[in-house]
Amino acid sequence: MKKEHRMRQDILRGVYEDNLRIIGKGHAAIYKHRYYLPRRLLIPLLLSILIIISQSSLVSAPFLPEKYLRTLASVKTLTAGSAAGDGPSDYKAFIGAPGVPISRVFGLGVKTIMLDPGHGGADNGTKGHLGTKEKDLALDIARRLKDRLMKDGGFNVLMTREGDTTLPLNKRVELAKRSRADLFLSIHLNYLPSRPINMIETYYFGPSSDPNTLKLAEQENADSSYGMSDFRKIIEKIEETLKLQESRQFAASIQKKLFMNIKRENGAVYDFGVKRAPFVVLLGADVPAVLAEVSCLSNNEEEIKLGNAQHRENIARYLELGILDYLNKGDATYEARRQPER
Amino acid sequence: MKQDDSRKDENVLFVGIDLGTSRSSISASNDTRQWIESYVGWPKDFIAMQVVGKPVLFGAEALANRLSLDLCRPLEHGVIKEGISRNEEAVRDIIRHLLDLVNPQAGQKIHAVVGVPADTLKVNKLAIRRAVAESVDSLMVVTEPFAVAYGLNLLNNSLVIDIGAGTTDFCIMHGTIPTEDDQKTILNAGDSIDDQLFSSLVEKYPNARFNRNMVRQFKEQYSFVKDVAEEVRVEIPVDGKPVPHDIKNEIKRACESIMPALTETTIEMIARFDPEFQVKIKNNIVLAGGGSLIRGIREYLQEALKEYGPCRVTGVEDPLFSGSDGALKLAKDMPVKYWEPL
Repeated sequence: MKKEHRMRQDILRGVYEDNLRIIGKGHAAIYKHRYYLPRRLLIPLLLSILIIISQSSLVSAPFLPEKYLRTLASVKTLTAGSAAGDGPSDYKAFIGAPGVPISRVFGLGVKTIMLDPGHGGADNGTKGHLGTKEKDLALDIARRLKDRLMKDGGFNVLMTREGDTTLPLNKRVELAKRSRADLFLSIHLNYLPSRPINMIETYYFGPSSDPNTLKLAEQENADSSYGMSDFRKIIEKIEETLKLQESRQFAASIQKKLFMNIKRENGAVYDFGVKRAPFVVLLGADVPAVLAEVSCLSNNEEEIKLGNAQHRENIARYLELGILDYLNKGDATYEARRQPER
Repeated sequence: MKQDDSRKDENVLFVGIDLGTSRSSISASNDTRQWIESYVGWPKDFIAMQVVGKPVLFGAEALANRLSLDLCRPLEHGVIKEGISRNEEAVRDIIRHLLDLVNPQAGQKIHAVVGVPADTLKVNKLAIRRAVAESVDSLMVVTEPFAVAYGLNLLNNSLVIDIGAGTTDFCIMHGTIPTEDDQKTILNAGDSIDDQLFSSLVEKYPNARFNRNMVRQFKEQYSFVKDVAEEVRVEIPVDGKPVPHDIKNEIKRACESIMPALTETTIEMIARFDPEFQVKIKNNIVLAGGGSLIRGIREYLQEALKEYGPCRVTGVEDPLFSGSDGALKLAKDMPVKYWEPL
């Protein structure tokens, strides 16, 4: 009897704490101890591995936290002194230098790109006034982009879905993980019921306090089959890693090329910029991952334009330019040569 | 269980709510219980408003007047459907309506526990909270099968399978609040039976005229798995004239279509539990939700699990209210101090 009473009390307390977590109260207090110990063990372990790897000139760990790399740099200076000679003396400046993608820093090539056309199957995504569905446009643009990247860039391009199939977010994440892709791009179209404008925005994973962004994330995450614990583990894992920095740069390139070129076509497009949002789909691959809202279906004019294959081809072209811009940061002077719409 | 003295405060009405895809129910501490079909309808225009005479209609009344209404079934797959603010409005309206049905006194505070499907993401729970919070003074969200388990005192070594319309939720209880690993949601549930039955009937009787609502009624009246002795004949109009149709095989096939996934997930859930306690859990499997009323389902599952050793499958006595009753019990047992921050 006493045991059952205690069990019940524990359960009630569990319900209470769970609800505190949902509303974001008490999270830190509840997780403090679970979180602390592994990190303490992890840091020296990582540092040891990094020292060994970096001294053998086999550095190929682009996604380790920057602060560990900075620490490594100082440790390396202490142990090797100036013997390294031609090595970078200020790791922070090197890593943090604007326009230097990590793939270049470590001499890594991008071979495989995974494209994720949003929604699909039973999940239409948003729908324009004329009935155009986001899932169909996202797939069409992704297919065009795939053709371009394979034909012109020689990349290996994978798609999370090739047809009009329902694909839950957790499956997309799994696919991204398994694919060993080097970049991940999720393609979506926006809908702004309150403002009939056309706009472009690009997201990378991260916390956001903007209620509109959170609302959008809520919509896009709706069919995820992830549980809270999975989600939390992934967020903790991703926290402060270089993936975030890389994703930010990748997002900036996509947004810049997409907006700049569409603006040139059509002055009435708004730049909503690069944002952070907790989209589940961006958590999958441990590589730079962004979600691009390439157009806006609530704008009637834009919906009509999207019915034109050339317009969709142009969007695919601008996304391709964004990818190339990211991969060739600093060198790229790509400018879209827009083909006239028929 | 010893009750906190402050709970005797009559100025607080405790309510338990089960938000379902098909039906929503409420149980209150003033011994009132009510349920409605989870439909909300708003008049399409001024004329429709004149016809129905109300700004918003619920449940069966909304269904009966559906031609004059913008009809909304807000909880698809057990969560607020993505991206449409009207669905949040619909949930808010359903909650308000349910609360009205249990007659809270003027000035009485309402402390509510709301059951939502297991394995939902934080964003979904937040959406539910957002929709419910404005109608109550303090709110806790729990998973539906957990609420059922708590209400039935199945706190330890049990597996609750809640077969609803949009989802089937599994929850293993082992003396603490279940974690994400202890819970799983699959989409093989009442709605998927409806879809299967609808397609089979369209194929078999192409001249008959019926809609999804009729198909749902056929299912609710005649559903079975394995076998039943009697014939299953329903009247469906053909060229405007009611004609009896034999639908026994179609009903059986549709109902059995969810069983492989249900069996497989049951095995998976048990297998991931501590082997020492697996036998106990196998002998304490409880079916809840509307799907537990399918004739023969307990025997079917028991037989399917037989090869994994002996097991015992039972069903709740009152599937319509088992979720809301459990949520009410949680609300009443919850210490007063836990309500304050929520």
